[in-house]
This record gives sequence, C-alpha cells and structure tokens, in this order.
Amino acid sequence: MSFFDAFSLLREPLLASALAAVLLGYLGIFVVLRRIAFVSAALSQVSGLGVALAFYVGSFLGIDPHGESVPLYASPVVYALVLACLGSVLLGSPSRARRVNPESVVALFYLAASASVVLVLASPRIVQEAHEVGELLFGNAVAVREEHLVELAITGAAVLALHAVLFKDFLFVSFDHESARSMGYPVARLDVLLHLSLGVAVAVSTRAIGTLPVFAFLVLPAGAALLWAQRMRVVIALAVTISLLAAVFGFYLSFVYSLPTGPTMAALCALAWLPGLRLLRGHHS
Amino acid sequence: MIIALDRVEIGYDRPLLPPISLSISPGERWGLLGPNGSGKSTLLRTILGLLPPVSGKVLHPLGRRPRVGYVPQSHRADPAWPLSAHEVVLMGRYPALGIARRPGSADHEAVRAQLQAVGLAGQDKKPFRALSGGQRQRALVARALVAEPELLVLDEPTSEMDPAAEHALLHLVLELAAKRETAVLFVTHQISAAAGFAHTLALINSPAHLVQIGPAQELLTSENLSRLYGRTVEIKREGARALVWIASDGKEAP
Repeated sequence: MSFFDAFSLLREPLLASALAAVLLGYLGIFVVLRRIAFVSAALSQVSGLGVALAFYVGSFLGIDPHGESVPLYASPVVYALVLACLGSVLLGSPSRARRVNPESVVALFYLAASASVVLVLASPRIVQEAHEVGELLFGNAVAVREEHLVELAITGAAVLALHAVLFKDFLFVSFDHESARSMGYPVARLDVLLHLSLGVAVAVSTRAIGTLPVFAFLVLPAGAALLWAQRMRVVIALAVTISLLAAVFGFYLSFVYSLPTGPTMAALCALAWLPGLRLLRGHHS
Repeated sequence: MIIALDRVEIGYDRPLLPPISLSISPGERWGLLGPNGSGKSTLLRTILGLLPPVSGKVLHPLGRRPRVGYVPQSHRADPAWPLSAHEVVLMGRYPALGIARRPGSADHEAVRAQLQAVGLAGQDKKPFRALSGGQRQRALVARALVAEPELLVLDEPTSEMDPAAEHALLHLVLELAAKRETAVLFVTHQISAAAGFAHTLALINSPAHLVQIGPAQELLTSENLSRLYGRTVEIKREGARALVWIASDGKEAP
C-alpha cells in the first residue's frame, strides 16, 4: 500500500505531528535561548510518566486509557498535563535554596521521571500495555485519534495566543532577567507563565507524538535556525519551517521505509544543523 | 527625595552590615564602593526592592517605587539573542508600557533619539551581537535612559572595560543624566571610577562589618580605603583626577 493510498488512515497522526512541530518549533526559540534545553527534556519525561501512570491507574480501574471515551480520572493527557504543569511551576520558580544548583534540580526531575517510567512499565499489572505505552513514549505510535488531534489543536492555539499577547514580556525577562527585575517587571510570574505554557505544550504533544520527537522539536530546529538568521522573526519562521518539514518528511519516510516515526523525525531535525555547522566553526575560528 | 533607607539591615537570613540610613535625591550621584563579596549587590537589591531588609524600612517618598533605569555588566545581556540594537533599547520602554501592551510610534521615536544621544545613530537595525563591547554597553545605557528613569542604576557596567572606554561611558552617562536631573547610583569595586564619578559614597565591606557614608571628597582617604580593602591604599587628588596606589599584601605603597 502506498503512502497516498493509506493517507486516510495516516491523516490524524500526520496532522498531530505537524501541529506539534509548529508549536514546539516556536517554543524552542525560548528553550534554546534561555538555555533550558534540559528543562524541556525533563518536562517531556515528566509528561511521559503521566502517560505511563494513567495506564497503571487504569489497570486498577479496569479502564483502557488508550480506548475511546476515557474518563478524565484515567486520561493519559490529564495525568501528563497535571505532572507537566507541576514540573513547570517547580522548575520555573526561582530557587531560594542557594546551596542547590538549578541544573541538579533539572537532572533530578529528568532522572526521577525516566526511572519511574521504566519502573511503572515493568509492573506486572500493565504487562499487556507496556509495549504499547513504550511505543507511545518513544514516538513510534501512529494511532492518534481525532480527539487527540482536537486536544492538541486547542492547546496549541491557546499557547500561541498567550505568546502573541505576552511575546514582548517573555522576550524581555528571557533576554535580561536581572535588568527586567531591577526595572520593576514581574519576572517571577512571567517565568512561571512561560514555563507553564511550555509544560502544557509538552504534555499534550507527548501524548500525541511521544517524548523523543517532542524534545527534538524543542531544541534542534531553533538551534539550527539561530546558526543562520540574525533577526528574531526570521529565526522563528525558520525554526517552525524546519520542524514542520522534519515532521512531514519524517512521517513519510518512516511509512515508506518502515522506520520508527519519532526517531526519523528527530534525525531529520538534527540534519538541519548540517548546513550550519560550517558557520559554527567559522564563529569559533 | 526619591528613595530612603531608615536603619536598614541588609542580608538574606542575618544582617551582613550594620544598620544603614541614606536618602537619594534627584540629580545626586551616588557610588557604592567595596571589594568583591562586600555586600554591594545585596545593598543594591534591597534599595531596588528586590530583597526585603532584615530590619528597618525602605521608604518611597514619591508614594511609589521610583522609575528605575538599570545598566548591567555587559555580559548579562546575552549576545546569542537575534535582536537588533533598536529592539534591545526598546525594552527600556516596557516597564512603563506594562504587561501585554505593545509599543507605539512614540516609543520607537524615543528609542531612535536615545540611540542618537549615545552615539549609535544609524545603528538601530544592526544586530546587538554585532556591536563592539563598548557599543553594546552604550546601547544598554540607552535602554536604561529611554525608560526616563528617576533613578539610574549602573551595576558595575565598566568592569570589563579599559580605562579610556570606562571614562567615555561614565562621562556620557553623567551628561545625559544631568539633562533630566536623574539620580545616579553607581556600583563599583574600582576606586578610580568612584572617585571620578560620585558626589556621595557608601563604602561597604561585609566581612569587616564596615559601612561609611558621606561626601566622596571626605571619604576617599588613604586611611578609609586601606580599612575598606584590608591592605595599604594611597590616594592623591590632582583637581578632578584621583591617583590610586594599592600596595602588595603587607607592603607599604610607594
């Protein structure tokens, strides 16, 4: 069966990948420039833990969280959202404990979430679903339902609307935190809001396309775009375009060559750095 | 008066210094001078309302927090960001505009005028990252001044500059601040910069539990500076110039 013959089956996952790519490609500008790439990695793992927990809880309640009409208390996206929002607020709040290195806190979240996902999936209660959840988390699942697509579209629109309204404010506090604080800007509240928007986007995208492509879309396209462009608008346009092309072509290639979808998209995002590596070397020479 | 400290003890959990009382009025030039780790940043954060005092009161005689323009050390403004000089300076207007409100043509015009005032006319579209170190620091001065501040804070802005560039920048700041009677608070660990700049000084050293506040002419003595830095410091004034010698540990200055 050719890709175009199968298009009616692939429409939802392809659209979900494209929507997530646009949303995360844009947010990646803040992730890369604020140097919080591993915050986004930690958030995607925390969201993944939420998805795994939903299956674990579902096993007690006799509910298949991957099925249709899942109640909210067993919905993977709700679990992912709650944990990601909690993680965003905790990672976005300034630490008052001066002895704790912020990077160590990010590492704690990342490692604790990653280990917990493996431990939850190793539970005998979800042996049947473990493979399916693992596929979902690593972005190999192509079973995206229309309802997941709607969730992603609504969340994406809300996050992008928030950023359209507060773009200048997020820009100021991200570019020069200390000056913004000194000049009376509500930096802490804006930081939490920015992290929260990131957490929500990561949670809903993780449920739809998996942790690996989510992390890749957040970091690689923005990094590649910054090698090429000098203007913020151009960098944003370039990052979103790279993400979108990686999602669509990654999806196509994974179907045609029977490759895992998430890693194919991530590999294409990484390829976007190749033309710019020469520039990177030039900057350092 | 713009801001005053009434027997304020600064610190995080316990006081770092003896109680401090001071008041800053329009047009005054204040210097906070002390060695690295002396508590300058903690005092500055307390004055700006970013850190609550351990005891005492920070007073706002205007009935509100004063409008602040802030010039950081140049490395604080990350050149990785793909922003033009104009976009960086425009950020100075954001606190007055408020959250979620977009700048208008008057804001853009004010930015162009301020860039011209700091000698960066015609550079507004140039990427901030492509400016030289001195130009970047002048852009940051423009960003602070475009806020039309009542209090201009310079937080060790010349620590990475050579003496000529430092002199040029401070001269420019003084000239521009004087036009609006803006009070200036300059934080530095460089004696020469404080001597050439401040009317009033606060000498602080938290490990020595030392605070001295007064006119710069009176405070900048060899005795006070030697106590502040814990080694022999000699200062000689020739008109507006101050010559400073710092002896190696345990040795007399030449």
